[in-house]
Amino acid sequence: MNFKPLFEKAKEVGFEAVQIKYSESKSVDLEVFKGDLDKHEISQSKGLVLEGIYQGKMGKMSTENIDESNFDSWIQTLKASAEAVESEDPVVIYEGDETYQEVEGVYSEALETLSVEAKKKIVFELEERVRNADERIDISEAFYSESNRYVLLENSKGMSLKKRVNHAVLGAHVVAKANDDSRSAFDYIQTNQPQDFNTDELVENVVERGTSMLGAAPVESGKYDIIIENRTSASLLGAFLSMFKAENVQKGLSKLKGKLNDTVANSQVSLIEDPFMEKSPKSTGFDGEGVATYRKSIIDKGVLKTYMHNLKTAKKENVESTGNGFSGGIAHTNLFIDPGEKNLDTMLKDMKSGLFITSLQGLHSGTSAISGDFSLQASGYVVKDGKLDKPVSLITLSSNYLELLGAIDTIGSDLKFTFSYLGSPSIRLNAMSISGK
Amino acid sequence: MLEKKVLEHIINEALDSSADFAEVFAENTMQNTLSMQDSAIQKALSNELKGVGIRIAQGYKSVYGHTNKTDEKSLIALTKDLKTAFSGERVRDVISLGEIQSKNNHNVKVYPNEVDVSEKVSLLKRADKAARLYSKDIKQANVSYMDTVQNVTIASSEAIYVKDSRVRTRLGVSSVASNESDMQNGFNGPGGSYGFEFYDQIDVEEEAREASRIAVTMLYADDCPSKTMPVVIDNGFGGVIFHEACGHSLEATSVAKNASVFSGKKGEKIGSDLVTAIDDGTIVNAWGSANYDDEGLPQKRRVLIDKGVLNSYMVDQLNGKRMSEASTHSSRRQSYRFAPTSRMSNTYIDNGESTFDDIIENTDYGLYARKMGGGSVNPSTGDFNFSVMEGYMIRNGKIAEPVKGATLVGTGKDALKKIDMVGNNLLRSQGMCGSASGSIAADVGQPTIRIASITVGGRKEDAS
Repeated sequence: MNFKPLFEKAKEVGFEAVQIKYSESKSVDLEVFKGDLDKHEISQSKGLVLEGIYQGKMGKMSTENIDESNFDSWIQTLKASAEAVESEDPVVIYEGDETYQEVEGVYSEALETLSVEAKKKIVFELEERVRNADERIDISEAFYSESNRYVLLENSKGMSLKKRVNHAVLGAHVVAKANDDSRSAFDYIQTNQPQDFNTDELVENVVERGTSMLGAAPVESGKYDIIIENRTSASLLGAFLSMFKAENVQKGLSKLKGKLNDTVANSQVSLIEDPFMEKSPKSTGFDGEGVATYRKSIIDKGVLKTYMHNLKTAKKENVESTGNGFSGGIAHTNLFIDPGEKNLDTMLKDMKSGLFITSLQGLHSGTSAISGDFSLQASGYVVKDGKLDKPVSLITLSSNYLELLGAIDTIGSDLKFTFSYLGSPSIRLNAMSISGK
Repeated sequence: MLEKKVLEHIINEALDSSADFAEVFAENTMQNTLSMQDSAIQKALSNELKGVGIRIAQGYKSVYGHTNKTDEKSLIALTKDLKTAFSGERVRDVISLGEIQSKNNHNVKVYPNEVDVSEKVSLLKRADKAARLYSKDIKQANVSYMDTVQNVTIASSEAIYVKDSRVRTRLGVSSVASNESDMQNGFNGPGGSYGFEFYDQIDVEEEAREASRIAVTMLYADDCPSKTMPVVIDNGFGGVIFHEACGHSLEATSVAKNASVFSGKKGEKIGSDLVTAIDDGTIVNAWGSANYDDEGLPQKRRVLIDKGVLNSYMVDQLNGKRMSEASTHSSRRQSYRFAPTSRMSNTYIDNGESTFDDIIENTDYGLYARKMGGGSVNPSTGDFNFSVMEGYMIRNGKIAEPVKGATLVGTGKDALKKIDMVGNNLLRSQGMCGSASGSIAADVGQPTIRIASITVGGRKEDAS
């Protein structure tokens, strides 16, 4: 669709600038449950987001009813939206940067064009292998979720940017059962290369995770040295991400306010954002506002170097946008705690005794992103003589995320990313308060 | 909306395969949201959804496709793509749809689109002002408003051809209290299946002050001790404990696959005699109500647990086939982008006989959870975790000092058996429930209840 006439019409009505984001997506979702294809979904969709500056205020609307005949009504809706806004915050529609990094390896035609039949075969095989791996596997499920996305960002200031990304997640979920006790586990591979779907390790991990948790029970309440597993630590980071966003800092909703260039974490901790990582659908050369992205340390060796900014928050503080403006707010691309040297086995050996936490539940409710406090149900294993011993569940780990970042004893080498591309290696903390039986 | 002949064309195209079920869900939804921070409107957003979901099944095996290319040719192409999953011999005759059905049990007086934006803005201003005036400790208030009008047409091979209009609105107030040492927030979010007349029926200022009251109370609260103790959970949003710990495990989504602790337990005693639990999608103008479920069947009232005995699951048509049970008309979905499945509507523990005062007076020592935060549960194990937004210690049968940072940890099946007092003050409260078929409006509710013993997690080590 040609949006130039829309820009022209908006100018006639009195808009200073207008921007559109048009996206198209195609997805495939497959799930196999105990040998049967349980879910088979395909979709094709398109969406349009319009923003426009009218009398100094930003109006916004979105629609799936995309047709040139709606241009006039869109402009009226956009104008009404702008007129309702009272915020004196600066508004910007960006003219664009001179250069943008070309991001490699984020779209794979091989993935999009691989037949649905071939994808089904991968999922069926994975589920069958998991199901037959151990007689205690009571429920086995495998899933495949693929999305292909095209985005066009254009505005009346002449910016025109586009990108195409795709990726897929292949995963398995099990429930192991023995002696009236059930334990669930899951693991996954994320990639955009079909040849990465090597499931040996995946099968082994998910089966081991489920069966080894059978018979889990609380430990005594008390202080324990603990290691939080990589992906669990990454999920925990996700619950406190808003602290690093300038919009929350500026509104007094982050404890990191006024802490720029202060030590906010242990000197081993670096928090890195890398927008150019291969095979990640979050990787991009430009953010949602058209600002060129770049790799940066948010925390560098324990020191807070920058918040994540979009154009609006940057303008307020007279700094440059960090290229984190997405969907009207602030978001990360690929964000991770920089890995250290030691692998998990060495970390367990060094710790000798304590707890290995593999799961934290209630992350959307048992955490306060404003204060950093959290109190979460945890499960994992007792560590005895540097090895995993009996399984543990129904214990509670309570602390504060900033205190935790300050207290990290060791950072492992085993970086792993969540579905939302937050990453962490396993981390060790000493003398943490655990409530159990 | 799609014409009848297009719907018939899609369904008959789908049934030209070994499929025995075909369904079309066409949707057009308008949503408006406003958000206020720093006492100024930050965003005013309108959103239009327009698309079609097509589901084809053989037995309980189904495929789903959705698109917003809603012309006949694109929809038939999608149907042809989907039906390749069922390549066997034809099992159903050609169908034709009857007259379109509709009903309106949830009368709306003032449609949101007829209300000027400025009226919505002044509503937010009233809430913001009341929240801030509550205390000088309130440093920030985030006020939000939403309205949605979802128009759907549902047609299926099961002689279903209905249209429904779901109108909802909700006000959200999140207050932040802070001093030199701490920052705490409180939330309150009343809503219903109403138009803008809803705001004449509630006390907007009082609802806003409630969020501030929680935030300020918690600002001066001590850390909660970690210990196993009796917990009194108050009425209203306290029902989230039942919703999360038991409700999800009674949905066919997990029961049908034997993935629930309550699978195969129908007719068995799963809770204390005091527990009767209801899921009722027909409550007039309630937040989680509708005229029809998302498979086009009329919404119903379901007695899930009757005096401790498991009476009914929540079942949709497809999972019903897997379980050899009829649908309980419990199928719901966020939008055409989601295949529907069994979900809760307005779910609550029914009234008992104790008064609130009886319950507190009969508790020597324990936690009084006045407002619950959110929670989560693993449906295969029933392990749950809830945060307490506003809590107090109970000492010698009296409510004592406020405590913060408490979480309740346990399993659903144990907690149900340990409910030893149920109050007579049933209240429902609004929430958004996220699960397989997306995020949907759902009421939780209960009278004040007591759980005889449950693990409380907190930051204070000494539990005396």
